[in-house]
Amino acid sequence: MLGSTADSLFWMFRYIERAENTLCLIESGFQLHLISSKNLKNEWDAILKTSSIRQFFTKNNTQLDSLKIINFMFKDQINSNNIYELISKARENARRSRVAMTLEVWESVNTCWLFLKEQLKKNVTENRVQSLIKDTREKIALIYGYLNKTMLKDEILNFCYLGTYIERFNNTARILNTRQYLLIEERLYGLEYYNNFQLEMILRSISSYRSFMWKNQNTINSKKVSNFLISDKDMPRSLMFSIQETIQCIKLILNKNIYKNACYKTAQNIHRKIQSRKMFSNNYLFLNDLIDLNMKLATEIEEEFNFH
Amino acid sequence: MVYKIKKFDEAFISDNSIRTNYKKYYNWFNTQDFSRLNKKKSEAFKFFKDTGITFKVYSEKKDEETLIPFDIIPRILNYREWDKIVKGITQRVVAINLFLNDIYSNQEIIKSGLIPVNLLKNNSAFFPEMMGITPTNKIYNHISGIDLIKTEKNEFYVLEDNVRVPSGVSYMIENRDTMMKLFPDLFSKYTVTDNRDYPKKLSEILKQCSPLNVKQEPNIAILTPGIHNSAFFEHAFLADQLGVELVEGKDLRVLDKFLKMKTIRGWKKIDILYRRIDDEYIDPLTFKEDSFLGVPGLMEVYRNQNITIANAPGTGIADDKAIYSYIPEIINFYLGEKAILKNVKTFKCNNQNELKYVLDKIHTLVVKEVHGSGGYGMLIGPLSSKSEILEFKNKILKNPNNYIAQPTLSLSTCPIFTKKGLSPRHVDLRPFALLSNKGVSVTNGGLTRVALKKDSLVVNSSQGGGTKDTWVLGA
Repeated sequence: MLGSTADSLFWMFRYIERAENTLCLIESGFQLHLISSKNLKNEWDAILKTSSIRQFFTKNNTQLDSLKIINFMFKDQINSNNIYELISKARENARRSRVAMTLEVWESVNTCWLFLKEQLKKNVTENRVQSLIKDTREKIALIYGYLNKTMLKDEILNFCYLGTYIERFNNTARILNTRQYLLIEERLYGLEYYNNFQLEMILRSISSYRSFMWKNQNTINSKKVSNFLISDKDMPRSLMFSIQETIQCIKLILNKNIYKNACYKTAQNIHRKIQSRKMFSNNYLFLNDLIDLNMKLATEIEEEFNFH
Repeated sequence: MVYKIKKFDEAFISDNSIRTNYKKYYNWFNTQDFSRLNKKKSEAFKFFKDTGITFKVYSEKKDEETLIPFDIIPRILNYREWDKIVKGITQRVVAINLFLNDIYSNQEIIKSGLIPVNLLKNNSAFFPEMMGITPTNKIYNHISGIDLIKTEKNEFYVLEDNVRVPSGVSYMIENRDTMMKLFPDLFSKYTVTDNRDYPKKLSEILKQCSPLNVKQEPNIAILTPGIHNSAFFEHAFLADQLGVELVEGKDLRVLDKFLKMKTIRGWKKIDILYRRIDDEYIDPLTFKEDSFLGVPGLMEVYRNQNITIANAPGTGIADDKAIYSYIPEIINFYLGEKAILKNVKTFKCNNQNELKYVLDKIHTLVVKEVHGSGGYGMLIGPLSSKSEILEFKNKILKNPNNYIAQPTLSLSTCPIFTKKGLSPRHVDLRPFALLSNKGVSVTNGGLTRVALKKDSLVVNSSQGGGTKDTWVLGA
């Protein structure tokens, strides 16, 4: 496979994953908007920070208006990580690597893009937010469905997954990083009750509230939430799960001389750090370290597999 | 139904008299519910849209891709007329290859005085760098797209021999796929010859031209200018169908006298390059210095016979519109045969007498740039305003070498499906021919391009043309 094709596949799925994560964030903010919570502004603020787009939004907006933020995240050109732009970039990368994927995968990306192009001609209104999120999610799910069902289980598929999990790791780590104070304050101030609501929001922003509650018998506290997001092996959006999958992809692509490989070593390093993490150690440093290492890993993957 | 026939229509002789080729189809058509056909038309549109079968029109917004309108009424040719076309195309393709072999070696045709030497001199499509290089199996034009028009029953003219990087074959195949999805019942009524084996044949002829020093299965790659090229869909389509890598200049490098592509596991040799970029861009060291599309040093690899390039560099000289007018003589010179397919009478503006004629009769002629394509840089006299004609006359006078003119032929019409039912529109036809040392293979049918605007003669997709599925009926 061409290095540039691997590059396109990797980024195609980073963008798709980023779009999906953005949908989750919008959804959690919108839920809060519906119940007119007094925490709404803080929540949108955290969401904008997580996506690193706060400064762009506040440039032209003085107030954190829910619908303005939602439209900003869906389609505003000032925000280069808006959902339409992300899916456009994913499609552009899919076109570049068209030869590497099945017709079904290509068509599902293309129709997702066509759908958003049509839907986002007009501003998203309050009444449309939920259906648009649901429909876009379904279109994205179709891409993954066809990816699993129609592609050969070879290195091409592994580059798609590598993009997905590197991006997902980054996203979950950023969500935790933005709100990491929640995970310490409780210990310091015993504000467990007050924080439950915000912990719930964290889970909702990665669409994992129900699965958390299922696994933890409806008990929510900081310790459980951080364990769930950081080190749970079964939770598809946890840091642990993402790095395990990343390691697996690297192993499958490399096939031999694995242990001396820079990417593999970095990925193992991340894995070890998560495994040996101590509860209530300095979360801020811990997460920053992981985010940096994940970025380093992405660069090493690009170099190892001749992306450029 | 009011079906206004202007001159020669391929389906109807008159309003209520239908030609044999179309009889069965027309009977079927009359049993169809109009709204169902309309629905089918929308389905076809959706299919093309979802699959991303697009092309780009230059000068539009950079990220705008456009769909080529598809008409659901097939164009139907019978096997007898088709047989003649196949023979005619085979003859031309073989003669063009002999011509290219000659002009890049002994130039016997020039010595004989049949073609004036100044047609090669100062002609940017002639590559002196190719003198003395013999391509594998002496094949230059592996892939050709021959543009034909029909004017009367069994009367076909060749409009152009496209041997640079002819495109459109993917639309031919997608059109057939779409028609089979939309109207399976039609295909069981007719014996329509298949045209979808083109990629398989292309792969075969490319492999047959593998460099002589390659002993194992050759590595093929298709070179594209990239996703912003108007025909990118086709490049990706062909790479996918052939099961080969689609590469851009940035993926390639000349290393150890071979062309190599950068893979995830390092550099890998390419033996056969089907390039979809023009000659002058393939190697900045030999041709256009500022080209980023090609590969520095590629021509050196070619000279060392370490790679096959299809079509061979320098092939473009043969589809130069000035050379075109000599094709009947070229066929006679190399094959000792009379041309089976007719040429359109061509006036060369570099000839004083012919120039005078062109300027006098410009309102009746079609004037074209010698190296123009895609319907750009041309003037259709009868459809142009006085000021447009005047402007064009000045252009010709400034650089007469750059122009040829042809009489306005009345292209045949075929029915298309409109809101008001069937309506005639002008069409042309581009069959594709593959040449190897084992012979010529011509696609069954080809790409029919149709001018969707009423009475328009411009069929180019870049200027509002559409396409149709083209049926060659079995014997």
